[in-house]
Amino acid sequence: MQSLVDQLGINWEFLISQLVNFALLLIVLRIFAYKPMLKLLRDRREKIEGGLAKAKEAELRLHEVDALNAARVKEAETEAMGIIKKTEAEAKELEAKLLAAAKQREAEAMKGAEARLRVQEEESRRATEREAARLVRAAIEKTVELSPGAIDEALIARAVKEAAQSA
Amino acid sequence: MLNISLRAEEVFHIGSFVVTNAMLQGFLVLVGLVIAAVALRKKLAMVPGMFQNIAEVVLEGALGVMDTVLGNRRESEKYFPLVFTIFIFVLVSNWSGLIPGVGSIMVGHGADAVPLLRSPASDINFTLALALIAVTMVNVFASAAVGLRARAAVFFNFGNPLKFFVGILELLSEFARIISFTFRLFGNVFAGEVLLAIMALLVPYLVPLPFMGLEVFTGFIQAFIFGMLTLVFVALAITPHEGEGAGH
Repeated sequence: MQSLVDQLGINWEFLISQLVNFALLLIVLRIFAYKPMLKLLRDRREKIEGGLAKAKEAELRLHEVDALNAARVKEAETEAMGIIKKTEAEAKELEAKLLAAAKQREAEAMKGAEARLRVQEEESRRATEREAARLVRAAIEKTVELSPGAIDEALIARAVKEAAQSA
Repeated sequence: MLNISLRAEEVFHIGSFVVTNAMLQGFLVLVGLVIAAVALRKKLAMVPGMFQNIAEVVLEGALGVMDTVLGNRRESEKYFPLVFTIFIFVLVSNWSGLIPGVGSIMVGHGADAVPLLRSPASDINFTLALALIAVTMVNVFASAAVGLRARAAVFFNFGNPLKFFVGILELLSEFARIISFTFRLFGNVFAGEVLLAIMALLVPYLVPLPFMGLEVFTGFIQAFIFGMLTLVFVALAITPHEGEGAGH
């Protein structure tokens, strides 16, 4: 066994020096390479994952905003349609009201005109009556100039009335 | 005359401490990797440069392979330092043996002349050290994961004679792992060195080139096998056996 060990060159000192060599390398690589690089890769991965999550969140938010926007547009359209319909109805109502008021005013104006016409008619009738009475009186006076006292006032009035009725 | 030595040759002393050519090369590999690590640390940035990009691709690739064995990234990151250090150390050591000058620059005179540098993995002390570290760390990780008692029960189970026998087999298999780790890497690298030396002696020009390419491939494969086996042993060891709970 010892000859095999000697032949292969196994030596405790050499073995320990190789162990120390490896241990040193492991420590140095761990401190200077593995730890910082793994940390860097982890940080970068977290950053990328964070960025992706944020992008996803932003996309979701964008969809939400789009949906909200579409809903609002739809709501506004509905509201606008409602306003238009309401306005149309109000306009029709107002039109009807105005039409009714115009008709009423027209009727009132017609009534006024008719009343004025009647008043004028009455006035002209009275004037005609008065004129007729005056003319009749003048005619009678002319006719009965010879004896004015024979003509009774009552007769005159009756004559006037009859004249008015015939007119 | 070709002089093939199974043992690493002594090149100089530091006091009473003997420095072999494989040890010296191993130290140079260590220095090279440390310089690369420090340079990488200095240039680390959120937006990577070319060097960092390559390092990140390698690291992500290694972590990806580990994920397929261990099942999740957290576990991979936990055992990554040991597995990847074994891989990179073996890989760079193997490839460093192919650098011109290694094995051909001699120190000493005449029959006492020895190569100044020698591929670290062609010295059994290097492969044995790595094997000891790998197997020891597998057991340390397993103890941390399933508990010291549960891990010890794998080897020393007095529940019944069958379990006791299985435990003994498990204990023997740990030693078998050390031996297989040691001799697989040592055998492959040493055989490669010998093959290259013979080819260079027989036909010095062009003919050794394909064999050097083969050695580049073998160097990578051996490093990968060493790292993967360590990883698989870790994965097996940290999984609780029947009747055990994690974290005991």
